[in-house]
Amino acid sequence: MYHKSACEGFQCEQQLLESSLSQADAGLGVVERLVGWLRQRSLFVLAYGTGCGAIEMRPLMTSRFDAERFGIIGAATPRQADVLVISGYLAIKTLKRVIRSYEQMQEPKYVIALGSCTINGGMYWDSYNTIKCLDHYIPVDMYVNGCMPRPESLIEGFSALQARIGRGEPSGYQRYRDNIDWYKANQRRVLGDNMPPAYTYDWYSGGAV
Amino acid sequence: MTTNRPLLLKLLFLAVSLTPTLTLLTWDGAWVWPLFGEFELLFQLEPLAAFFLLLLALGAPLVALPMARGTPDVPTYALFVLLLLGMQVLLLAGDFIGLFIGWEIMTWSSYLLLIRSTRATLEGAQTYILFNLASAFLLLAGLLVFYSATGDFQIAALTEASTAQRWAVFVLLGLAFLVKVGVLPLHRWIPLGYDQAPDLFSAVLAGLISKMGVYGLLLLPTLFPDALAGLAGRWLNGPTAGYGLAWIGAITAIVATFKAISQQDIKRLLAYSSIAQLGYVLTALGVGSSLAVGGAILQTLVHTLVKLLLFITFAGIILQTGQRRFNDLGHLIDRMPVAFFAVLIGIIGLAGMPPLPGFAAKYLVFVGLIDARWLLLLAAMMLSSTAAFIYCYRLIYGPFLGHANSPEARDATEAPMSYLIPQIVLMGLLVLLGIFPGWAIEIIVDPVLTALNLAPIGAPSWGELATPYGGYDGVILMTVFGSAFVIVTALFWLARGQLRRAGSPYDLSFAGEVPTADMPLHYGAGMGRELRRIPLIGWILAHTTTGIQAGLTRQTLATAGLLGGLYRRDPQTWILLAVLVLASVPTLLLLNGGNS
Amino acid sequence: MLHILLDSLAMIALCYVMGFLFRGFYRQFNARLQRRWGPSIWQNFYDNLKFLLKSETLIHGPMFFFGPIIIAAGAITTVLFIPFLKDSIWLQGVSAHGNLILIIYLLVVGPLGNALAVGSSGNPFGVMGVTRGLTRLMGLEVPFFLGLALVMLQHETASVQAIMAAQDSIAHWNLITNPLAFAVILLPFIASQNGSPFDVVGAPVEVYAGPRVEFGGRLLGVLMTQNMMMTVAKLVLMVDLFLGGASNIFELIAKAFALFLLTTAISATFPRLKTEQTVDFFWTVPLGVAVLGVILNVWLI
Repeated sequence: MYHKSACEGFQCEQQLLESSLSQADAGLGVVERLVGWLRQRSLFVLAYGTGCGAIEMRPLMTSRFDAERFGIIGAATPRQADVLVISGYLAIKTLKRVIRSYEQMQEPKYVIALGSCTINGGMYWDSYNTIKCLDHYIPVDMYVNGCMPRPESLIEGFSALQARIGRGEPSGYQRYRDNIDWYKANQRRVLGDNMPPAYTYDWYSGGAV
Repeated sequence: MTTNRPLLLKLLFLAVSLTPTLTLLTWDGAWVWPLFGEFELLFQLEPLAAFFLLLLALGAPLVALPMARGTPDVPTYALFVLLLLGMQVLLLAGDFIGLFIGWEIMTWSSYLLLIRSTRATLEGAQTYILFNLASAFLLLAGLLVFYSATGDFQIAALTEASTAQRWAVFVLLGLAFLVKVGVLPLHRWIPLGYDQAPDLFSAVLAGLISKMGVYGLLLLPTLFPDALAGLAGRWLNGPTAGYGLAWIGAITAIVATFKAISQQDIKRLLAYSSIAQLGYVLTALGVGSSLAVGGAILQTLVHTLVKLLLFITFAGIILQTGQRRFNDLGHLIDRMPVAFFAVLIGIIGLAGMPPLPGFAAKYLVFVGLIDARWLLLLAAMMLSSTAAFIYCYRLIYGPFLGHANSPEARDATEAPMSYLIPQIVLMGLLVLLGIFPGWAIEIIVDPVLTALNLAPIGAPSWGELATPYGGYDGVILMTVFGSAFVIVTALFWLARGQLRRAGSPYDLSFAGEVPTADMPLHYGAGMGRELRRIPLIGWILAHTTTGIQAGLTRQTLATAGLLGGLYRRDPQTWILLAVLVLASVPTLLLLNGGNS
Repeated sequence: MLHILLDSLAMIALCYVMGFLFRGFYRQFNARLQRRWGPSIWQNFYDNLKFLLKSETLIHGPMFFFGPIIIAAGAITTVLFIPFLKDSIWLQGVSAHGNLILIIYLLVVGPLGNALAVGSSGNPFGVMGVTRGLTRLMGLEVPFFLGLALVMLQHETASVQAIMAAQDSIAHWNLITNPLAFAVILLPFIASQNGSPFDVVGAPVEVYAGPRVEFGGRLLGVLMTQNMMMTVAKLVLMVDLFLGGASNIFELIAKAFALFLLTTAISATFPRLKTEQTVDFFWTVPLGVAVLGVILNVWLI
């Protein structure tokens, strides 16, 4: 029912947007496409329960919606995870932990942002201690909008992400790597002295990799 | 001239430490030294003693090398030389008098060496000497009973004695040697002594001196032929007397293993592990079959090598850092890589894992137990040898892995060369014995078995350990494991993707947090604490044997009080009593003699 | 030489393929019990390859890197020391040069090597997991080994090939002739497979602490690979010891699958035990049955 080929009504909007974005095969070789296909078949999720959206992750993983049939399963630690799900608004205090977890994940890694709060602050648009646009701090690969998005729409979001991984398109982690100074400047603006120590990110710019 | 004296002294000391090797290589035939009356001291090199002399020949120079470092400490050197002399006398002795003389020299010189440590306390020193004197007096009592039964001090089979005399000799001599080996509840001097002794001397205590107890226990089958079975019949496929001995060994091994897990001090942990390892030897000796005794001999050899290696290595670490507790060390792997490998090899040997000879020894003992159909003992041994993994892991995690927990551990350097050379030699020996278990059986174990009137185990090739229950090939095992390791590493490097080394030891997956240097991240001290929640282990750890010894002390004091009651303040009563006894005994004897 | 190489490759490949298919089946089976659709049966293969193809791997020093390699080498060695078939020159590996006790010890070589890697990562949660694992090992090995000793005593050999050869017909299977030994071994066997009631050590998904807490990327892929191979190796060992071994691959797969189904059903039924509960359980129920077995086998018969 929720297979990625099927969409109806407004759900097709995203697919339309994405199909216009993607090139035919992005000039990838057979090996890259095979690797992409294998990667999209298996997504380990680090569900960061930052806000009320976390409540939608449980039905997603359990019997009713059963995300495991798409190869989506929870991971215990960031080292093992492929996808970071930010579920809802993000207080500045949690942002530090989210950045830390994101940087500890091993590439390729993706971020799915849940709900309106991650796009424009949502109902917390004038709050003093939440961030308004998640993409300024860590690179978001896929937004799933709504307040709250239902598990169905989450699955849609995951499927779209899988399709993008399968096509081997450039993802957020490459953006983060390329624009690390911009991201770090943004993070420093809200975190101030509370930034994680330099060793957690200086390897991005140090060319150590 | 004066500048050369320390060097000369050291060279002399090192040369003397080679005397066991010299003895082993050159001693032939018997050397008789007439004593008073018709008694004479007999010195000869039996195959059994030759095996223990081999241990001595291996261990003495390896310990002497690091001991010779720094300014020469003449009393220590002299005592060490005396100790070597004592042990050689003990091993070469063909009769109980020589054995006893050697035993006493060994006891006293080791005691004097022990109290030279700055850490020695009155309690530790007293416990050491009291237990060892008790052992010596039990030996004396045993050999006097032996003499009264045979009229000779020669170490030979006790054939024409009565059952009571046989049991008396067995119990007295057995107890004497068990104290030396340190079975429960006679073990209290071991953790205290090994802990407080000078760090290098602990290696001698654990590696060599404790083996003299094993030597004594291996003499018992000589005294009581047919592997103790002559004493009290047989139980399943083994001797009944041995069954009791084996259970003592197994319980010792279990309790000492759990005690070892709960220790906070490296040397105390090693001391308890030593007790446990010799518990296995005791179990195997109890079985008494050729397989099990072969396993016991191999285990003795492995334990000597492993304990020398571990104690010398940790002596090096204590020398460099001054720290000896698990939670004061940590992350030495980068700074002391040789020591890390030495401890790694040591714990693999200690745990009896396959590539190293510890496994061969354990395999022989297990098969021996199955052959004797003593399966419950097998379960007990399995319990203690798997629980040993936990303390083995602590032994390497605490000092080498995790986080450096003290300033000394943060900037330690590798120990001096004189510590590293013995480590490398011992590591090499352990690996060689592991690859060629058949060679160890053929060259080292089988001559001893033949001397004990047991069937030799034999080996089809150097790499192969063969028993009636099947065997394994060390060379093939190492080849398979080594090539698998190389192939997996090569495949890993060939595959795409990059490796990145963490920028800081604190770059940890820590639930989103960033740990700092002042967080207690080192798990070395607490490890094993949660084991107390398991009822059996909690019970064992909550009890100590001090109660038994306190009770023994109370009984002794009560007996002394009883005897003291006979003692009157006025000496006249005593003298009168003495005169009465002296007068009546010859009279009675005369009357009896007259009647008969 | 060529024969041994081909044979070894075949054994490793068979173990790997059976491993991910069995594990995939396990996930699907569990899903159906929970009224879910479940993942594809190939899911473990995808997961494993995804990790092996990760482009970034973080290491904490040389020992951290070599830990998963040691565990993989240990798994390959274990597989090669277990005979897969009887009366055949194929799928034997180097089992002629090993025995049951060696295999039991080889099973723990790898995990101990990996414990070093976990320790050198410096993550206290990982070391906590290792301690739990070693504690569980201490609990399960006693009845497990006692059960195996009953089998060794029955056949008076420690050679797996000889034990397998002695079970020539279904009436001579050790499952029939020595059911008590099988009953003793079954639950510790599930624990050694990291199966469900006793899986608090790794506690997949929900507990943060566990030996794998610091492993990611390709190192985690290596760990998953060896885990799947080890699952099959242990199943094959049990088939050899209790179900009479197998004469061809299909028989082997059928018997291993039957055993796997049994353990899966038990795993899916019971809730998880804490570590100390696990140890206490193993030292009372299976060890009690084992002692009963020893009394029956050694003293009465």
